Order: sequence, then structure tokens, then C-alpha cells
Amino acid sequence: MREHRLKVGVSGIRGVVGEFLTPALACSYAQAFGTFVGPGKVVLGRDTRSSGEMLQHAVACGLLATGCDVVYVGIQPTPTIQVYVNATRARGGISITASHNPSEYNALKLFNHAGLFFNHYERRELLDLFYESEFRTATNDRIGRVAYDPDTPPRMHLDRVVRHVDVGRVRAHKFKVALDGVNGAGSELSVHFLRDVLGCRLEAISVDPTQPFPREAEPRPDTLGDLQELVRRTGADIGFGQDPDGDRLAIVDENGVVLDNDDVLALVVDAVLTSMPGDVAVNLTTSSVIDDIALAHGRRVYRTPVGEANVVEMMQAVKAVIGGEGSNGGIIFPSVQYCRDSYTGMGFVLDLMERTGLTLSQLAARMPAYSRRSGKFAFEHGRLGTLMRQLEVTFPEGQCDRRDGLKILLEDAWVHMRASNTEPILRYAVEAKSPDRAAELEGKVRALIAG
Amino acid sequence: MERALRISHVGLRGIVGSGLGASHVLDFAAAFGTFLAPGPVVIGRDPRASGVMIREGVIAALLSTGHDVVDLGIVSTPVIQHTIQRLNAAGGISIGASHNPAEWNALKFFAARGTYLSTAEAGELLDIYHLHNFAYQYYTGIGVLRKDTAALDLYLDDLARVFDLNALRGYKVVVDCCNGTSAIILRRIIERFGLNFILINERIEGVNFAHEPSINARTVSLQLAPLIQPLGADAGFLFDIDSDRVAIATDKGDAVNEELVLPLLADYLLPRCPGRLVITNLSTTALLDEVAERHGGTVVRVPVGRQAAMDALATYHPDQIAVAGEGTGAVMMPQFRFIYDGIASMLAVLSLMHQRRQKLSEILATYPCYSILKGELPLDPQRVPALMMELQSQYGDGIVDVRDGLRISWPDRWFHVRVSQTEPIVRVICEQKGDPPLVLFETLMDMVRSAV
Repeated sequence: MREHRLKVGVSGIRGVVGEFLTPALACSYAQAFGTFVGPGKVVLGRDTRSSGEMLQHAVACGLLATGCDVVYVGIQPTPTIQVYVNATRARGGISITASHNPSEYNALKLFNHAGLFFNHYERRELLDLFYESEFRTATNDRIGRVAYDPDTPPRMHLDRVVRHVDVGRVRAHKFKVALDGVNGAGSELSVHFLRDVLGCRLEAISVDPTQPFPREAEPRPDTLGDLQELVRRTGADIGFGQDPDGDRLAIVDENGVVLDNDDVLALVVDAVLTSMPGDVAVNLTTSSVIDDIALAHGRRVYRTPVGEANVVEMMQAVKAVIGGEGSNGGIIFPSVQYCRDSYTGMGFVLDLMERTGLTLSQLAARMPAYSRRSGKFAFEHGRLGTLMRQLEVTFPEGQCDRRDGLKILLEDAWVHMRASNTEPILRYAVEAKSPDRAAELEGKVRALIAG
Repeated sequence: MERALRISHVGLRGIVGSGLGASHVLDFAAAFGTFLAPGPVVIGRDPRASGVMIREGVIAALLSTGHDVVDLGIVSTPVIQHTIQRLNAAGGISIGASHNPAEWNALKFFAARGTYLSTAEAGELLDIYHLHNFAYQYYTGIGVLRKDTAALDLYLDDLARVFDLNALRGYKVVVDCCNGTSAIILRRIIERFGLNFILINERIEGVNFAHEPSINARTVSLQLAPLIQPLGADAGFLFDIDSDRVAIATDKGDAVNEELVLPLLADYLLPRCPGRLVITNLSTTALLDEVAERHGGTVVRVPVGRQAAMDALATYHPDQIAVAGEGTGAVMMPQFRFIYDGIASMLAVLSLMHQRRQKLSEILATYPCYSILKGELPLDPQRVPALMMELQSQYGDGIVDVRDGLRISWPDRWFHVRVSQTEPIVRVICEQKGDPPLVLFETLMDMVRSAV
């Protein structure tokens, strides 16, 4: 079977550049976007992928053709672009990044006037416009202009982050910090933030935005070997690993151990709920540790389908003060911006270490312990329904949540299986109180998949 | 709203928004990137507002087909062509609609030698465009964008090698830039070489041009010609937006017929290389033959249109050719490796004045009077063959040339009836030494009218 590596859908357009994601396709999508948001400023930025420059010009072409003005902000983390869209009251924004996907991929992330991911109504409208191909066209006297503003967005972003961090005390502590920027869009900003703003003694690797990704783009325990080594070698207090567009954050403790993303989110949720009244929203695949922490603070947890846009939509609806996607290293703190933001995460965790005087491993040890296992496998069309049904039959005692694939809640554990929004694969995750139980559950899931 | 999009051997042209859209630009530029051999591609644009949108699409398509892109910004077409040659680039694209109104835009394509594509090359490009089979590269093969800020100065260095610019300082010259790219070049010439140019309509403008950018005697007489005598100028020049063509006004404030630009340049260039060829089309004035004869040159006539001129140039060695051009003010010199260049044409006319120590009006007075009449009528394609046969039988006593419609010539008189390649019309051109050939012209027009 020929592998089709393009996905045009409600979460945008993503694919392997060249054969699948062409400049013509990116331009058409931008025309649909420009038609939808109407004439006015659209912010356009990108990560460091080699295809980013090409696609940004294709997108600008589409936007200008519909009468939008383009504000080029250059290479910027996705959250930085979102803050800038929000702060400058632009019509919308586009970040050209395939986030944690490999180098050969690229994608468009779309933001509305508030710098938020398009919600599901907006995404549906946009997709209809794209397929109808009836775009607004500007004549010579209505064609938009191009402006360049690479310097303001990082300043605006960090200004918002430091409002929630005790910068004076963190600076005084002079943390020794290791950083792996994956040569991504945040490379330069992260160095500036950690070294100049937060006064850390910084040991940084892969912070050259002109170079290709030196490791797999997704920051995971199995991809952060160099960062772990760096932490151990330099005796750092903490290590931060970013993805190419700076929305995801992985953290390595002082012993060189990569913390579970769910535990990182739990630490931040705990810190925020301690100081701010309000509820929590996370996706269905996020650990139950969040429920335990919210319960301890007397707060509710709202669950949503996987995807930043879904979590943000729910956060707005319930006025949550903190949220995120533990499963993929995303912390969403609305006081900075409704988006996953590694900078907010870095600031919060350093602030927490400073306030408590605890090491990262000590902080993590305070979180309730769960065992988690997850995996993915190639999507076979037509098999999804059968699998879900079999899953349901395998766990007859469970309670079913069908908002995103199938999540089965058991007495002491849960199992979640869903189709990826961005790639042609199925993902599963299981969680239990004990490692043995988690292994047993994963074994059952894998047996089902193996048929 | 007028809808217009024209896709042909000379490239892509249309009214932005109603005819020419982003997808045409991306596809045509991707076809060009696929067509070219590997290597950088030089691009630039004229100041039309829509040029920014088109530039973005062109850059994306070229990068994605694996070419590095050298963006010269707002620049004349001849500077783009010069830069292609200087950088040994794979090719180039000029974004601009030249003499068309502001709402139009276009892509012009150039081969590695900096010249327009030959007919065969243009055909291949069109085939790739229509087949939509583009060589989009994997992420490792995508090109890189860069700027080249030295392009204008290096172009001027070459102009200064061909023309003695210091010798032209004594001339006071008024130039109507029509808000186009010539203003940028001329300001730099003034700065570097101290020439006495007075520029009008020199503001770079993307939407409202001071007047239509057409290159002909009528446009010259709008604003430029009336200024010459009050300012005590020696000559006036009018450029189209991308500066590849020029029209002229004399020291007496008269608009010079655009047909005279090529004879003037032949007059300047032929004495420097006697016996060479002058290449022009079948519709150009017969005065050219007379000027060529004075200097022992020979006129070679080819069908009308840029493609025929390009193909003709390729059949001769550059050393054989003195000058090539059309009766539209578009002229090429071998010194500039066959680029239509209005600025070079202007410098050649000033150099001629300097060399002869004569005023422009005095030089023109040495030419015998030829009167040319031009008309056009809507076309019914089915009737054209019968019309041509009828004309040929009626005027069979002259010398018949059927390479491009029908041209019949007599010792002091000729006419040319042909179908336009760009518009659905029949053109009638008729010239006579001395008085205008009114009767012949009207008879021809009537025959065309009754045929269609």
C-alpha cells in the first residue's frame, strides 16, 4: 500500500513536504484562511525547518491575494506568535510548524484574532471554504502590504511570563540549568530567557536555529539522551528539552532522569491551584494524578478530546485557571495565553524549586504514583470499529467515554484508544496504580491489536 | 469587472483579482522551476501593489522546485536580465506588466543567458504548466532565498563601460518615469555620474500611475513634450514601468514617433560596426532600410513578436548583428547581450547627439519623411484566410511576404495585415515615403471590415 502522508482536516493541514504538502496547497489553505478572517493583519511565523521559508512565502502569497496584510515575525516559537496575535489585535495568525513531527513534515497552525487555536466551529467553516475554493480576491488597489516585526513578539511573550514568576528570587538562586533546544524556533529565545532574564547558569546544546534537528523532534525519555548526559556531566539542577516550535516541554531532574510529562503538568497544576482559585481542564489521555491533585485543592477536572484546541475551548468554557495535555508535555496557563507554552513551564518549575527549596526529584516524589504505558500502530482503514468493539468486550466492567476514540475507566485504572488527529496512526494509553497492572492492561490491548 | 488572463508563449499576464490569481502564479513559477536546469533564479518586480503577492508565490514555487532565489526587489527588467548573466544563474523572472495599466500584472521568464525564452523553450514551459507535473523537492532539496543589493551598481558599471557617461554631462534631459523602475536607476546615475536629468512622475507608486504607461508619441505629448522648451532641455525620454522600452521628445518639444527609435539607434551603432545586420519585424518603418543603407548595413525582417525576434537572434552570431528591435521603442544591442533596455537606448541616443555634435531635432531632420498609418479591427478567425487571399490577388504587383499574415511592398510604399497574437484583432499597418498613404490605408481597412 502506498503511504499517503498528508492530512487535511479540522486540525489544519500537515504533511510531508514536496510530494504531499506543496506550496500550491499551502497557498490555497492560506487563501481559505484569509477569506475567513477578512481583510486586516495576519501574523505569520515559522519554526526552523528547512521547508519553513518556502512555505511561509506560499502562505503570504495566499493571504495577500485575499486582501490580508502580512506581518512577518520570522522564526518564533508557536506560543510567542500566539501572544503577539493576541496582544496586537491582528485578524489572526499562522505558525508554520509540524511541531514534534519529523523534519520531512510541515504544517500550518492557525490562530484566530485572540491568538487561540481555531475552535471546532471555526475549523469547520475554514475547511468548507478550503474545499469550495471560492476565495475572496483582491484587485491591485486592495492588495495588502507586508511588514516585518521580528523583535516585538519575544518581548511581549516574556513580559507576560515573568509577571507570574518571582524573577528576583529565581535570579538570586542562580540555578544551574541544562537546555536542549533541538535547534528549534525557541533556541535563541530560551537562551535569552534562562540566562539573561532568569539569571541561570546555562549549559545549552542544540540552540543553533540554522542547523537541522539533531534528535527526534518530540522531547521524550528515549530522545533526550544528550540532555540527560549534559545534566549529569555538568551537575545541573534541572534540564529542559523543547520541541521545534517551543510549545512542548520535557524536564530532566538533577539525577538525569526524564520526568513523566504528566508529573510535570501535575507539579504545575499543584503550584497554580495553591495560589489561584479555579478549575482544571486536561485531555482524556492525561494521567489521573491531575484528579488527585485537584481533589486535594477541592477543584474540578474537566476532560476533553486530545488536541490543544479542545482543551483551550473547555478551559474558556469553565474558566479554568490551568490546563494542559500531560500526555504530550503541554502546559496551558491562560494568564499568559491560551496555548501550550514551554516558557511558562520553565518559569513555573524554577519558581517552584526556589520557593520550596526542594530538588526536582523530591518534588516529583511528592506526586501520587501511577504507572503509565502508551504506544502507537499503523492505522488500518476499516479496522477501527472492530477494535473499539473488541476493547469494550474485553473490559465489560468498565465505564465508556466515547468523546475521543474510546476510553474505558476501570476501578483502579483506565485504557484509552484513539486515532491521531495529525498522523495516520492509532494511539493507545493505559494507566494503573501499579506497574504490574499497567503491564497486564497493555498486554490485553496489544493482543487485541495483534488480532 | 473585466476578467482577463492570458497564458501564452510570452508568459502569464492578467488582471490581478479577476483573472490572474495566486494559484496561476504558483503553478506557472513551479513549472518554470521544473523546466530550468539546477541553479539560482534571479527575480525582481515593478512597483505594482500586486507584485508583492506575486513575488511571494514565485519565491515559494522556485524554492520548492529546488532553486535558490536571488530577490532584487523593485528593479527594472534589464537589471534582472543583467544579473542573470552576471551570476551565471539558471534563469530569471520579472514580475511586472510593463506598459499595461496598474491593475494588470505578469510574469516574464528568462533563460540562463538572460534573454527571453526561445519558442521551443517557451513551448516546453507551457507543456509542463499544463501537465501540472512539477518537480517539488523533498525537504532536503529546498532552495534558499537571498538578496543582492549590488545588482543595480554592477549593471551601471557595465553601462558606463559601453557609453561615455562623463561626455553626456552637458545635456539637460527631462525624463518621465511614469512612477516606474526607471526612477530608481536614473537617480543612481545622477548620483554616481552627475548627469543632468530632470525626473518627473518619479515617485515609486503601486496603484495610481500618473498616466497610462504606454510607450508612444501620444503619451510623450501628454506631460513630457510640453516641458522640454520651457526647461531648455536637449531631449526628453519616457519609460514604461519596467524600463525596457523608451519613447522620445526632441529639443523642440515634439514627440518623436516610436517608429524612429530603432532607426536612431541603428544610425548610432552601424558606423561603429559597418556591414552588420539590423534585425527587425515586418511591421517596422522602411526608414530603417534607408538608414542601414547609408552605413552599409542590411535589414533582416522577421515576423512580429518577441518570440520571432528571439529565434532570429539565435540564428546569427552576435558579431554579425548591429542592433535589433521593434517599432514599439523596444531595442536590443549586442553590447548588452540582447536585452530590451530602455535606459541603454536613451544613452545611445544621447551618445549619437554627442558624437554628431547635433541637436536631436537636427539629426531627425536628416531622415527622409515616412508616414505610417496603423489601425486595428475585431477579428472573425474563419474569414481571415479569404481576406488574405483577396488582398494578395488585388495587390499581387508588389513583393509578397507571407511569413506573418501578409506584407506587400513597393519601392516607396508597403502594407502589412496580420492577426495579433495577444488580442482578437486584425492589425493594418501601411507606410509611404512622403505623404500618408491615406487612400491605400482606407481601402485596406474597408476590405478588412467587409470581410469580418
